[in-house]
Amino acid sequence: MASLISCPHCGMRPKEEFMIRGDAAPVRPSAMASDEAWHDYVHLRNNPRGRVREHWQHVAGCRRWLLVERDNLTHAVFSVADAAAEGGQ
Amino acid sequence: MAYDYQAVHALEGTIGAIAERRANHLAVHRATAMAMVLASPGRVPEAVGILVANGDFEVRFSGPGEWLVLSEVHAPETLAAELGVRLGDAAFVIDQSHGRVALTLSGPDAARILANGVAVDLHADSFPVGRAANVLCHHISVNLARTGAQSFDLVAMRSFAEALVGDIKIMARSHDLSVDFATR
Ligand SMILES: [Zn+2]
Repeated sequence: MASLISCPHCGMRPKEEFMIRGDAAPVRPSAMASDEAWHDYVHLRNNPRGRVREHWQHVAGCRRWLLVERDNLTHAVFSVADAAAEGGQ
Repeated sequence: MAYDYQAVHALEGTIGAIAERRANHLAVHRATAMAMVLASPGRVPEAVGILVANGDFEVRFSGPGEWLVLSEVHAPETLAAELGVRLGDAAFVIDQSHGRVALTLSGPDAARILANGVAVDLHADSFPVGRAANVLCHHISVNLARTGAQSFDLVAMRSFAEALVGDIKIMARSHDLSVDFATR
């Protein structure tokens, strides 16, 4: 089922309907955090192969932000959840 | 210099008069009363209750707590105000009557034609009458709703309407399709 994402609100959709923001792991530092912490957050990313957690937006569907856990080599999708629900909102 | 933007339909001049109505037909609606409604945080059930309280509104799913609302009872000029009065602060309302264009595709091949551009299962079991969804039709975002066994409504932003009709004509190339303004 390559390139299909199961949106929790819209069901199975092709990846063309989504925009990928990228790695969901980095946590925004506080406003007064050191330049180094901000540089890390804004610019530095690991480039892992395998299982990753990413923020995807279903721009052509419900327009919600989603947390997608997938394998970036095989594109096997393990889980898709609404990012707000995941964040406890 | 005075402009009368609202008087000109987005597809005016792009659709030729048709000699005959074919088996499958794409009707372009001239003036559809439409609005987007987004429920205030935590007030989704309340907003739904108000929207479905009487038969004035047709409510189509857009996203969680968000709907495309159409009406045949209210005019494009008054729908948003009417919704605003009834919903109060339970939801935000944005008029879309002149921002979007509504099309109705009907005929025995309607689902097959749409399947050439929409990646959603349109079998009646998984997309029954009354179901609506925001989907991508080729590269254009549309709100697709099944209004009958053989009829679907598509609502797209007005600036994409001409491209969407062009796409649908291509999607229907191996089927018999006519396109015209609705006479309703
Ligand atoms: Zn979605």
